[in-house]
Amino acid sequence: MAAKRGMGFRTLLGENRPTLWMAPLLAVVTLFYLYPAIEVLRYSLTNASLQRADYVYTLDTFIRVLSDPVLYEVLKTTAIFVIASVVLQIVLGLIIAVAVNRARKRRLPGMVFMRSIVLSAWVMPGVVIGIVWSIVLNEAPYGLANLVLAAFGFGNVPWLSTPSLALMSIIVANVWRGTAFSMILQYAGLQSIPDELYEAAKVDGASVLQNFWYITIPQLRPILMINVILITISTLNTFDMILPLTGGGPGQATEVLSLRTYNVIFQQYSLAGGAVLAVIMLFISMVLTLAYRRLLRSEGTL
Amino acid sequence: MNAWIRLCVRLALVLVVAGIAMGCGGSGGLLTLDRIGKEDAPKTMTVQLNNSYTHQNATTQSWADGFEKLFTKFAKEHPDWKLELKIIPDAQTTQEQARLLEQARVGRAPDCANVDSFVVAQFIEQGALKPLPVSQEEIDGLFPFVKDVVVDDDGKMYAYWWATDVRMLYRRTDLVPEAPRTWDELIQSAKAAKQKDSKVDGYLFNGGRWEGTTFDNLAHFWSQGGELVDDQGKPIFGEGKNRTYMINMMNFLKEAVDSGASPKQVVTITDYAEFEAAAQAQTVAMFQGGDFQYPPLKESLPPEQFKKYEISLLPTMNPNDPQTTGTGGWTMGAFSDDPEKVKMCAEFTKDVYVGAGNQVTGQLPTNPELFDSLDKFQDPIYDQFKEALTYGEARPGVPVYPEISTQLQIAIGTVLTGEATPEEAVDTAYKASLSAYNELKK
Repeated sequence: MAAKRGMGFRTLLGENRPTLWMAPLLAVVTLFYLYPAIEVLRYSLTNASLQRADYVYTLDTFIRVLSDPVLYEVLKTTAIFVIASVVLQIVLGLIIAVAVNRARKRRLPGMVFMRSIVLSAWVMPGVVIGIVWSIVLNEAPYGLANLVLAAFGFGNVPWLSTPSLALMSIIVANVWRGTAFSMILQYAGLQSIPDELYEAAKVDGASVLQNFWYITIPQLRPILMINVILITISTLNTFDMILPLTGGGPGQATEVLSLRTYNVIFQQYSLAGGAVLAVIMLFISMVLTLAYRRLLRSEGTL
Repeated sequence: MNAWIRLCVRLALVLVVAGIAMGCGGSGGLLTLDRIGKEDAPKTMTVQLNNSYTHQNATTQSWADGFEKLFTKFAKEHPDWKLELKIIPDAQTTQEQARLLEQARVGRAPDCANVDSFVVAQFIEQGALKPLPVSQEEIDGLFPFVKDVVVDDDGKMYAYWWATDVRMLYRRTDLVPEAPRTWDELIQSAKAAKQKDSKVDGYLFNGGRWEGTTFDNLAHFWSQGGELVDDQGKPIFGEGKNRTYMINMMNFLKEAVDSGASPKQVVTITDYAEFEAAAQAQTVAMFQGGDFQYPPLKESLPPEQFKKYEISLLPTMNPNDPQTTGTGGWTMGAFSDDPEKVKMCAEFTKDVYVGAGNQVTGQLPTNPELFDSLDKFQDPIYDQFKEALTYGEARPGVPVYPEISTQLQIAIGTVLTGEATPEEAVDTAYKASLSAYNELKK
């Protein structure tokens, strides 16, 4: 029996087994990712508040949050914010990546400098970006964007005080931040496309647009899909930039799901309410990721 | 030559190490980056402070210097104690209050900490704070609005509220010669100012998504006699007369924007610094600001420009209504179960912050007598601030207040952008606040 147990132990921890070398990773994942996630799930099933010590397990918080009409307004705002951000970041990232790639092939000078400039937006913390854009879009007579418009004879634009424009403004700020990341991924993808494909197309007399449509896009598809997943998740989680820019206002016009979660916990002290919103966010992220994954599989790229 | 270079490198290294050690105050010093008192002192107390109220204040050197002197003096006078500091960046103080509440709940709060006056009542209600050993005379000397919050029904003081502030109406006298007494006068004066100078905004106030919007504008509700919550802490601002008062307040703000007296931009204002920027750019005739904006305005505006400014009490709906103003500020509270540490927390607060800390920061004292005894407050303007404090009203320290505040911020935003009528906005905010109250009661 002892020998059997020994064998089992050796089998489990033998050098050809992954158990031993995966153990540290599993420990880290369990401690820092799984445990907090389970705690969030647990709190969502309570009525916990930061303002009292005791709480009970209940589904009431879920029912209250899900039956709150504000949630659906927030989800609508979040959907517009995420979809617009993803589409614009992909399209603009692709345009810049193609331009940079062509410039690289033609050995134009200053490409490293240009990539660095574009990347600088991505490495800046979200809070700083929010503050920078709040200075640019300030509606006072000394606001930067309105000063520029005034120089061309245009009147003041209510960038942040009109609900629809405020939502557009946070999308623009988010796209400004995220396009660099999208560009880098797609630039890497473009470099991996064999030149022979374009040479063969050239022999066949393909135009630039046909090259782009029939070679570049199909070859880039796996990268594009991964890009879409990553941008979607990071945009869903964005609140650090919106907080200093609009705080979610005017009213609730720019309050996206992640910002509402932050507000519910840190402004309204509702731990359970915030946990329910976090679970909803997790659910949305998981559904989207599974959908994208399925799409990738069906295209045979995964 | 090589030996010479090596010597230079060594010297430089020694200087760098010595510099770092000196910058940190040295391990044997009385004051380091994170400690007050000697390292080998036998007794230890953990203290959590906002960065502003420490020797590490990076934005105002005079505050850093002032607190460095006060901390060093305290350390010399209390050689048996070392205070281990946890310093909170100023941008995180709001979040930190939530964390502190959570830490207190699980018994891991620091022994002594800065607590925001607008949430301190929740700490008291939870039993997180210990009564401070202060005399009845000290308690009696405080402004009434302070006692209402920090002195519990048992007559004990659970936090030392040492710094406060008030909201006032700042105006440029070249554009608005007379201080408006009523809301109507304010709107008319603002419009008249715009006619005199088309580049200025008539009246600026906080209208964005942040606590300042609720807090500042609640003065207009309180001055009518409005009450946010009843004795049990239940929201009542959407019922009976209170609903009328709240709708009046919303109508006033809406009228200010719709009439052009205020720009629509007010719904984006989430920082008092916007008013100072507008004053510097000479693009505002009047704004509702805090007393704490007086010193920076005095410093930053050219003297001839600053001379044009006067400060007055906030206008009200009717000419005879009391000119109520909102008051905020910071307290110190003791979380420790050890009576000796509670006593030391009170002593630290009294020696460093009460009076002395007001002198360093210029933040208003909570005891009217200190206005007379401290040099900092001898400018005649402080008589006005002191008078305003007698009309001071603190936010109700009830668990549902954060929800009420959030809902009112949203309500003001939706009214000013025309997304909701004042009635709809007030009713929506009230319904949500009541729902949160019922949830908290479970």
